[in-house]
Amino acid sequence: MTDTYFNELTTQFSYAFLDSETPVPDELYITVKPEACVGICRYLYEKCGASLVSMVGSDERPLNGGFRLYYFFSLPGHGSSVPQGSRSFVNLQMKVDERHPEFTSITPYMPAAHWYEREIQDLLGLKPVGHPDPRRLVLHENWPKGFYPLRKDFDYKTQPPRTSEDFEMKRVEGEGVFEIPVGPVHAGIIEPGHFRFSSVGEKILNLEARLFYKHKGTEKLAEILPFTKGLFLAERICGVCSFSHATSYCQALEKIANIQIPERAHYLRTIFLELERLYNHVGDVGNICAGTGLLVGNAQGMLLKEKLMELNEAITGNRYLRGMNTVGGLRRDLSEEKRILILSTLRQIQKEFKALIDVIMFLSTQRDRLETTGILSQQVARDLGVVGVAARASGLDSDLRRDHPYAAYDKVSFKVPLRTEGDVSARVWIRIEEVFESIRIIEQLLDTLPSGDIRVEVKEIPPYKYALGYTESPRGANIHWIMTAPDSRLYRYKIRSASYVNWPAVPLVVPGNIVPDFPLINKSFNLCYSCTDL
Amino acid sequence: MILTKILLGLLQIVFLMALAPLVQGIIKKIKALFQSRRGPSIFQSYFDLIKFLKKDQVVSEQASWIFHITPYICMISVLTVGALVPVIGVSVPLGFAGDALVVVYLFAVMRFFMALAGLDTGSAFGGMASSREMMVASLAEPALLLSLFTLALTAGSLNLSGMVQKLADLKIAVISPSYLLVFVAFVMVVLAETGRIPVDNPTTHLELTMIHEGMILEYSGRYLALMEWSAWIKQLILFTLLANLFAPWEIHLLWYPPKILVLAILVACIESSVAKLRLFRIPDLLAVSTALSILALITLVLKGL
Repeated sequence: MTDTYFNELTTQFSYAFLDSETPVPDELYITVKPEACVGICRYLYEKCGASLVSMVGSDERPLNGGFRLYYFFSLPGHGSSVPQGSRSFVNLQMKVDERHPEFTSITPYMPAAHWYEREIQDLLGLKPVGHPDPRRLVLHENWPKGFYPLRKDFDYKTQPPRTSEDFEMKRVEGEGVFEIPVGPVHAGIIEPGHFRFSSVGEKILNLEARLFYKHKGTEKLAEILPFTKGLFLAERICGVCSFSHATSYCQALEKIANIQIPERAHYLRTIFLELERLYNHVGDVGNICAGTGLLVGNAQGMLLKEKLMELNEAITGNRYLRGMNTVGGLRRDLSEEKRILILSTLRQIQKEFKALIDVIMFLSTQRDRLETTGILSQQVARDLGVVGVAARASGLDSDLRRDHPYAAYDKVSFKVPLRTEGDVSARVWIRIEEVFESIRIIEQLLDTLPSGDIRVEVKEIPPYKYALGYTESPRGANIHWIMTAPDSRLYRYKIRSASYVNWPAVPLVVPGNIVPDFPLINKSFNLCYSCTDL
Repeated sequence: MILTKILLGLLQIVFLMALAPLVQGIIKKIKALFQSRRGPSIFQSYFDLIKFLKKDQVVSEQASWIFHITPYICMISVLTVGALVPVIGVSVPLGFAGDALVVVYLFAVMRFFMALAGLDTGSAFGGMASSREMMVASLAEPALLLSLFTLALTAGSLNLSGMVQKLADLKIAVISPSYLLVFVAFVMVVLAETGRIPVDNPTTHLELTMIHEGMILEYSGRYLALMEWSAWIKQLILFTLLANLFAPWEIHLLWYPPKILVLAILVACIESSVAKLRLFRIPDLLAVSTALSILALITLVLKGL
């Protein structure tokens, strides 16, 4: 936030400001009066073009006798770089009284808040007053009322009784309307999710997606573990964005501990983040061919992905790049041989991937399937705060790597591809272009890799401090927020994955398309269930 | 005399039954090679059949007698067709029983019951697949009939063995513009009738996109064996028709396998080189097939005049 914005905000809402602080360089925390919160959020969203990047509910009754809500905004909005030295993340926080566990919903003005508020209702028992769709979200109906797992007085070992109530699906009724229930158990190796289509003939009228079948209690568990063990948890939030999540976790704690990690560690982290993007994007492009029945393309894509994962294993010992990150840097260094191995493998991959694209993306039958299918409009993308590939394919120019540089992204030059069509084809093309950009980034970093240490020791972290850690994962921005507790533990760990914000966009994209195109549309988003269902 | 004919007819049926899984296995193998995979053995389809036959079956409580009878009807229809088409000889032992039209209609019976069975269990995927199958069928059937008619006009007979004989007698003169047009039209119909890419994807696990696989999704055990097997036999019969109608030379046991192998390779190549069509583009493909047949017919009539 630039000073002009901040000054405007303070004059406009001076009566509501209780406190403001900048605990870490680019994050501004403003404590506001609860009754003014909606107004300030609207001002930030509508006037300043800020976007909601996360919303956290926290039980701080043991600390200050109330619940607390945090609204995280990214400033300025999409499309331009943040000027140097400005505070780019603005956080509004407000207290919610224990005796009146309610807050005013901001969803009617900012649709992007809808899932966060429902989640806070499920996990903390704070009621969003005025929420247009206050149904259960994270905890299904078989979870009894009155059990709120993220409250501090809820023991993580509690096994609540199973209850049963029906979830009210939105229904479309009328002559010839056909309901198609799909899942939660699927034919392929896919995570659980229930999709309810209402269709007339082949045309889809409405889709309701029901996720959260495997709530794992990750955030609760993180409050039990010491921060060194919490890292392993962060690495296992999901398989395919493992390194991004781990990096977000480490970056948040490094900010809190106020340590500077060695330059070489920054470089290596960036290299691994890009290697993660590479194997995901290459795999996703190949997987699109499974949706269109182009089996040869699918097989070739899988082959290339396998080569990249074998490269991961060769340089880090793990196909998913696990076990490399640690708070304070990296656990293993990259030898000169491995540096050369990466370069030579990538050169080979680049050639083969190019050849694959030349075949699959210019085939008329393939193009006919991809183009104009599953269009995500820029308006919907903006309203829901969609991130990553899906946002950039719909004309939202946002990329954390450029907008809020972390690790060594400010040391390299790269292009952020942008398309405006918003269809399946655009999302595939964004991935394809990013593959080549990733290879360029890795090559630049490997050419200028500084020597030196790869980590600094972090023994303990100060209590009751907080910071954001964020990465642009292959699916988009992963925003982690950590508040620490005494004994180097975490008080609250909020993980907001890219998939979590992008999932609500999928059911909005589908209506108007035909039923057999749904798998293809879904694959073009390729969202993760595990990241969403924490 | 009649007894020998019946015996020979039965032998032909057994021959088709025995060979059909192998053809399926070969197509799968070739597709696997295209995908840089080793792929299962070409005999895998036999092992699958044995496995299905040994397994228990689970039948939906909602299923009526239609669900139970359909596998047998499919098998019987397709075997009857098997007795009516010339396979490894021009003469058909039981050819007196029916001509090309009967072949088309027996396939229609098979499809009719399969679509009913898809609806019968009340599963969403079955119903969806049945409605798609009917859409495809309503377009594929006229295309198939038209191409057979064009050949019948050339040959002057609707009797399949008569047709093959006439075409064989023409020797090299059989290759005319209309003949080539019909060949292309016929290949398209065969792709649709056998549920192959670009019309249907036989290897998909995505229920929402299925046609043929969707209708048989509820089948298991012995019934599934019958459904799969009859589909493979139907495929072999269509290949046989293609081979004997469009390469009507050297029709005997020695030349039959290479002809079928060439067709299997052709189908595998087509399946490996195009993406599956968007559902509502399938009518376009079949319309092209019909149009080609009509063109062939016109060419033929003009030439005849």
